Amino acid sequence: MVALIWVFLRGSQALRRYILTRIALTLPMVLILVSVVFLVLRVMPGDVVSSTLGPKASDEVRANIMQELGLDKPLVVQYFTFLGDVVTLDFGNSFIGSRRPIVDELGERLPATIELIIPASIIALSMGLLFGTWAAVRRKKPTDYGLRLYSVIIYSMPIFWLGLLLRLVFSVWLNWTPIAGRIDVITNTTLHRTTNLLVVDSIISGNWAALGSVLVHLILPTVTLGLVLSGVFVRLTRINVIETLQEDYITAARARGIRERAVTYSYALKNAMIPVVTVIGLQVAILLAGAVLTETVFSWPGMGRYLVERISSRDFIAVQSTVAVFAMFVALISLAVDIVYSVLDPRVKY
Amino acid sequence: MASIENPVAELPPPSASDLAHGEVLYSIRDLTVDYATRAGTVGAVDRVSLDIRKGEIIGLVGESGCGKSTLGKALMRMITPPGHISGGELLFAGEDLMLASDRRMRQLRGARIGMVFQDPMTSLNPLARIIDHLTETIQTHESTVSDAAARDRAEQLVARLGIRIERIDDYPHQFSGGMRQRIMIALALALRADFVIADEPTTALDVIVEAQFLDLLLELRDEFDLTILLITHNIGAVAEISDRVAVMYAGKLVELGPANAVFGETKHPYSQGLLQSVPNIDVDDVDLYQMAGSPPSLVHPPPGCRFHPRCPAAMDICRTEEPAFLKVAPEQATACWLYSKGRYDE
Amino acid sequence: MATTLENPPPESPVHLEEWEQELQKVGLVRRILRARRWYGTDWWFVTISTAMVVAFLVIAIAPQFFAKYDPLGQVGPRLLAPGELPAQEILILPEDSQYNSVADFATGERIPIAVQRETPSSEAARDEADRVTEENAAAGSDERVRLQIQRFETPGEVLDTVVAGDAVAGVMSSSVFKGLADQYPTLQSAGAISSAEQDATSFPLGTNQVGQDVLSRLIWGARIAIIIGFSAAIISFVIGVPLGLLAGFAGGKTDRLMTLIMDSIYAFPGLILAIAITAVLGPSIFNIIVAIAVLYIPTYYRIVRGQTLSAKEELYVEAARSIGAKSREILSRYIFPNVIPSVAIIFSVNVADAILTGAGLSFLGLGLPPSTPDWGIDLARGQEFIRSAWWLITFPGLAVMLVVLAFTMMGEGLVEIFNPKLRER
Repeated sequence: MVALIWVFLRGSQALRRYILTRIALTLPMVLILVSVVFLVLRVMPGDVVSSTLGPKASDEVRANIMQELGLDKPLVVQYFTFLGDVVTLDFGNSFIGSRRPIVDELGERLPATIELIIPASIIALSMGLLFGTWAAVRRKKPTDYGLRLYSVIIYSMPIFWLGLLLRLVFSVWLNWTPIAGRIDVITNTTLHRTTNLLVVDSIISGNWAALGSVLVHLILPTVTLGLVLSGVFVRLTRINVIETLQEDYITAARARGIRERAVTYSYALKNAMIPVVTVIGLQVAILLAGAVLTETVFSWPGMGRYLVERISSRDFIAVQSTVAVFAMFVALISLAVDIVYSVLDPRVKY
Repeated sequence: MASIENPVAELPPPSASDLAHGEVLYSIRDLTVDYATRAGTVGAVDRVSLDIRKGEIIGLVGESGCGKSTLGKALMRMITPPGHISGGELLFAGEDLMLASDRRMRQLRGARIGMVFQDPMTSLNPLARIIDHLTETIQTHESTVSDAAARDRAEQLVARLGIRIERIDDYPHQFSGGMRQRIMIALALALRADFVIADEPTTALDVIVEAQFLDLLLELRDEFDLTILLITHNIGAVAEISDRVAVMYAGKLVELGPANAVFGETKHPYSQGLLQSVPNIDVDDVDLYQMAGSPPSLVHPPPGCRFHPRCPAAMDICRTEEPAFLKVAPEQATACWLYSKGRYDE
Repeated sequence: MATTLENPPPESPVHLEEWEQELQKVGLVRRILRARRWYGTDWWFVTISTAMVVAFLVIAIAPQFFAKYDPLGQVGPRLLAPGELPAQEILILPEDSQYNSVADFATGERIPIAVQRETPSSEAARDEADRVTEENAAAGSDERVRLQIQRFETPGEVLDTVVAGDAVAGVMSSSVFKGLADQYPTLQSAGAISSAEQDATSFPLGTNQVGQDVLSRLIWGARIAIIIGFSAAIISFVIGVPLGLLAGFAGGKTDRLMTLIMDSIYAFPGLILAIAITAVLGPSIFNIIVAIAVLYIPTYYRIVRGQTLSAKEELYVEAARSIGAKSREILSRYIFPNVIPSVAIIFSVNVADAILTGAGLSFLGLGLPPSTPDWGIDLARGQEFIRSAWWLITFPGLAVMLVVLAFTMMGEGLVEIFNPKLRER
């Protein structure tokens, strides 16, 4: 968010216009997603309230609840109320369980997911770029096939399995890492949370014990998520670098006597990186999906696990809101990536 | 010629610049280049011998696929697998490049031998500014040159080639085709190369820009005593600026000589056909000439003279024995049985 | 998502090269072998994975031939490690004992044996004694095995008695003895008390907490996985391809609207969408298939639409149109054949992904009834026993990985072979 605003202010007039256009284009997408969520949950067979309350609830109770949730109004009215709610982030209260405002619950959990995703993407991207380039440069040699095999195997591994295996080896057998959670219980009480990004919080408050605990808890989940995602990036980078290496300017550079290493990195990789980086926007989807599974395996209190929990408890209001938040999150990130891309590539005209 | 300073050379003083105008700069002996394909081995260049002299512009013409581009790449040893140079000597300023190490080749490329490519848009790194292209080339070969000095030289070079200095910080896509081709020349000359190979440099340019480009080549040759190998299928361009012309067909050299001689007293039937194919604007109402047949397969070339299936003057011997490349006039050589009897001996 | 780039779809070989035409004349097997020489390691990728895929399909179609046990039945003791023999009644002897088995007891004297009270040990011992006696009688000797059985409260007492020499041997369950063996270094197991039991099979991959055979569950799980994977892929294909053709061909507003919808679905995290759909539709295998199918429709749509768009620009389509060919003809004769190769590749990767997503969904407990022998469910249930029974999570996950790997490798290998840009230069 902050970065976006900064870019916005610093950029030229043309850049601002571009950003605004992109935002304008993203809105329909969010709208559609959110609408689909709405449709799916309200219009689909299986009246929301009945499945929540069960068949034994009396008609009176049911009518009451429906009125409370605004479900007795015509569909169109419900739709617009819903949209309004989404925009103002007023999701109502969790229907089952804590009965707390959903916004609060999500607010606690979103940072957890973010704290998981960011290091994971960094791991995935760096591994991907490095290995992908390596494989492309040594094409058709053992290194290439080895790395391709690695990436395909990693990609085929169910992420929850990898997580469980790592947990088995490192937490159970070797006892190097903790078994679950973000921070150990005792240290948790000493930590004052502000942003709920525990790494940030512990640095801000100078609580080094907490920082240590948080980092140790972070290792396995981020490595799991990062490794699985790296498979995709290795493949992608490899293909893009191979194609880039066949471009004319590579031959031209070699004809000028430029060193092979410079050719690989400043010519090939820099050019190949651009399509890879844009695909990060798409990979956010995979990232979030993986996050859901990773959070479940490691009992990580993030949005993904929240979603699954709420589904099991049949708390549809919460489910609906969480999915809507996911949609907005995805839109935001792809927007950010598009903007970064336009800044990186001088050819993009805005 | 004081515009570009004489750089402090890191390399051993290039012996090429010691050569006088007209002496042999690059001697090619029996060069053979093969490509391994699924269909078999393609003989792209078959025992071509040619001497290139300092300060001359020599045009290399022929149909698409005759091997001229391959020859050009081979001169810089830039043939990539599945192709490889399977035989011959490449004597550049007395040094046999076939024996040179990769490191030595890299030293030569860009510094002593330069190349100008066909499509200037795709030959420039889209992410790097022109100044970066130039300074990188300079500093790769002469690492002691400071950034400021490199920039200076780049600016002078660019100015000499008719590009406005303030545009040196722009990106390739911001230039027109003709300008980009000038940039390519600038890059080839950044270190005062002795020899420039221009591989179809004007194919992507329109006629007017092409004319300007060719003029520029002439100027540069005169100013720096540059040696230029102009590879093209555009006979008109060759006629305009070349001193000598070489004609290739199906991987073999079929004719070589001064431009006047080759155009005026064409010896080889293929060259004749080639010249006849050029439409003549002065003559009306004449059907376009077309040579019979099509270029042969290079995997299984025809026995004897490779041109014989299409040659209007084919004789029995042409079908069975390959003609040698012989001198048939004071400055002209050709490979054709028609002339073996009137062979010109020095 | 208008400006995001993706890998260009692999181009289709429109015409055959000379050498390929040659190969057509040769038989299929020779063709495959010749291709190997050229494609090298990529060829191995494709062949091995195709073999794996075929193997899985065979197993999945007829699991009853491969699985030894009923996956839903409790066929063995709980939580048996892979290869571990179920607990048997074993004979425990001092290491310096003159006896080796119950058969050696046929001396005519009464042999004192120690057992724990109220366990099957005494009966097992007696049964074996009777059996040996019968065997001897049938062989003509009249050596009988006579046992004097002493009963004790705890296994420890049983072993103490043997050590003290008051009993010649002890009989107890192998698992019990395993726990105490360290304390009685002079005692050792002589193996199962009954030779019949010695043939007791172990479960190659162990058993789970309910006593079900892991291997059988894996094999039956293959069937579910492939059903889900293929069904979802086929549905996606059947819906996505025509929509893509339509959008690419028709263009205009229809195209834009559909593309917007498809892009939105495509951009959304697949698993989460599937979760939401399953949550709403309710748990059943059909709903899972539908949910997963929805996820992949946009992929087919995009690729097919892209290819249709570029095919539309090709001159031969214009030429066809200029001679009056009908739209439907153009679509089926010119555009469709070009689209097929890329779609085939996508299909195999699609199945792989569908299986992966399906496993994820059942891991999270959505969709399938909990008793179904499914890999995801097994993994989820195995989690609680991560400390004690590592095999419960290892093998189901391995199975998923291998199947997904097979399909993905097949697709990936095909891409390398079909894509002319990536071909050897």
